[in-house]
Amino acid sequence: MTERFEFTDGIKKTLYILMVVGLVGLLGSFILYPENQHSRFWTNLLINSYFFTGIGIFGIFFVAANTLGYSGWISVVKRVVMSLSGFVVVGAVLTLVIVGASYAHLHNLYDHWMIEDHRKLLDVTKQTFYNPTFWAARMVLYVVLWVVLGNRVVKAFSAKNMNDKAVYKWSKLWAALWILVFAVTESFASWDYVMCIDPHWYSTLFGWYNFASYGCAAFAFSILLVLFLKSRGYLAQVNENHIHDLGKFMFGFSIFWTYLWFSQFMLQWYGNMPEDTNYWVKRFNVPTLKFTIFLALALNFLFPLLVILKRGNKRNYKIIGFASVVIIFGHYLDFFNMVALEPNAVETHHAAKHEASIQKADYTLLAENKGAKEAVAAAEAVATTEAVAATDAAKEEVHATEAHVEHAAEAHGEHATEAHGEHTEGHGEHAAVTSYVGLGIFELMVLAGFVGAFLFMFFNTLSKEPLINESDPYLKESLRHHVEYA
Amino acid sequence: MATQSNNYLLGLWDHEEVFLHAIEHIRHDGIEIYETLTPFPVHGLETALGYRDTRLHTAGFLFGATGTTFALSIMSWVMTTNYPLNFGGKPNWPLPSFIPITFEMTVLFAAVGMVLTYCVRNKLFPGYIPRIFDKRTTDDRFALVFDIEGKSEADVEQLKAVLSGQGAVEVKKRIFSENE
Repeated sequence: MTERFEFTDGIKKTLYILMVVGLVGLLGSFILYPENQHSRFWTNLLINSYFFTGIGIFGIFFVAANTLGYSGWISVVKRVVMSLSGFVVVGAVLTLVIVGASYAHLHNLYDHWMIEDHRKLLDVTKQTFYNPTFWAARMVLYVVLWVVLGNRVVKAFSAKNMNDKAVYKWSKLWAALWILVFAVTESFASWDYVMCIDPHWYSTLFGWYNFASYGCAAFAFSILLVLFLKSRGYLAQVNENHIHDLGKFMFGFSIFWTYLWFSQFMLQWYGNMPEDTNYWVKRFNVPTLKFTIFLALALNFLFPLLVILKRGNKRNYKIIGFASVVIIFGHYLDFFNMVALEPNAVETHHAAKHEASIQKADYTLLAENKGAKEAVAAAEAVATTEAVAATDAAKEEVHATEAHVEHAAEAHGEHATEAHGEHTEGHGEHAAVTSYVGLGIFELMVLAGFVGAFLFMFFNTLSKEPLINESDPYLKESLRHHVEYA
Repeated sequence: MATQSNNYLLGLWDHEEVFLHAIEHIRHDGIEIYETLTPFPVHGLETALGYRDTRLHTAGFLFGATGTTFALSIMSWVMTTNYPLNFGGKPNWPLPSFIPITFEMTVLFAAVGMVLTYCVRNKLFPGYIPRIFDKRTTDDRFALVFDIEGKSEADVEQLKAVLSGQGAVEVKKRIFSENE
């Protein structure tokens, strides 16, 4: 019962190799791709920091939810799920690096509003929310809360005298507090890490969507790590019933993720609002991303549906382990799809876009005011001539409409005479996105490195305490856990 | 029902653990159990009785697949062939907007189909008069029912002895009349 995990040199060596691979990947992407202020390096850093930090805080959340829900089955695997949070401190440091570098204009991830001229083009409320100081303060608040409060909550959950009534009740209070803090910070963090990369686009279920995504990955990691520990002779008390329950959660969250992915996609497709569809049109115009978006959907929905729906498959260590690996990669891809496009496509994107959209706003407004169709045609002509390279110039009308009217009016005076009215709207959309780097060897290397670092922090946390908390009042129930049906 | 037997022997237990052990012993002796009646679901009863997995989920899958097919095909037919309408500038076969309805129909067909299958399989349809073996099986008694139609008196006595030996608090015959 008091067995401890021994973090052996063999495991450490493997993880060091993974981390070195990751470092080589990071350095390589930094040196070989200097375009857009090393955007390939920074997007990789952001995707992985966010993904793995999310998995970490989800681990605490899951144990907290189970604590509040009086669930007993989790007791034997509690330490494993909780220890996923070991990485959060590394993720916090990396987040601070990203925030600091953003301030120093070392990368272009948040240039849409980090640069003042661009920020002015947002509407007023967004200008307030994405004020760099406010944003940085929020980011710092999240990571501090995650690290400090997270550690305190984990400590409360692994108390040595859990069977003491007072200690047990305090652990419930910490669990409730963590759920509250997690719900708010996680939702805000999803906007502040990812959604604000393109601040014109927004999705009201984005927080949930991200939550579901790293939730799946957290269950997948829990399953894999429990299986790994079992294969090393630890956790003999854990049997296929516990794995079955974790598998059910992983399957359920996969379906939940699909529900949110589809809700987001379908509503924006159906609503057909330019500021919404912009996000998808930009991505579908890049063959790699079009492929990875549907690949992520297949790996995160179809694959779990076909493979782990069946009871026997959830209880089969080999099948559920394989499914976990696939699901982790699928959700990595999901974050890749969200982050990778804008910063990497910036050369053909930022510079020309804003100018083009300003002019467009001008003419759209003019057309609305006077009902003159020619004005729209003229505006499009100007916009496309001036911004042939802009991937999504034509998709920015609404953003521009909300942008500064005065500014636009000035631009109108200058460009009205240049319009020839020959171009069609579609022209701008099909321009090649030349600087986009895609999903290559460096992405996989960095992912491997982060997996190494994540597991290193995990095992490090895990080895500090016994694998099973003997004083847990639910331990007996967990040891006898048996899934009869379903 | 002419083929159904009218003569039964009932063993009643008052504790689930003893009851489960009794089932194991009786099955080990090769005695066929006709029916089991308990006031609440007993954990591990199916395993003890050696029942195979329910096939209700297979039925559920088939019903669900029927719902999916039905919803998708009728919407596709209406929207492309029967009455094509252009609304919102969407294509005539707007697959994403079919998905929510398809999903709902799948759930509806699966749920209703499974409930009906369950009811029919357990003879819970209206007009069916169930046979009550012992009223206390809905209260505090666990019952095993044995079919003794055509068995000799000696066999029945031996069975009675086995049941009593396995901790049954009461062993009795239950004979139904033809129209019951």
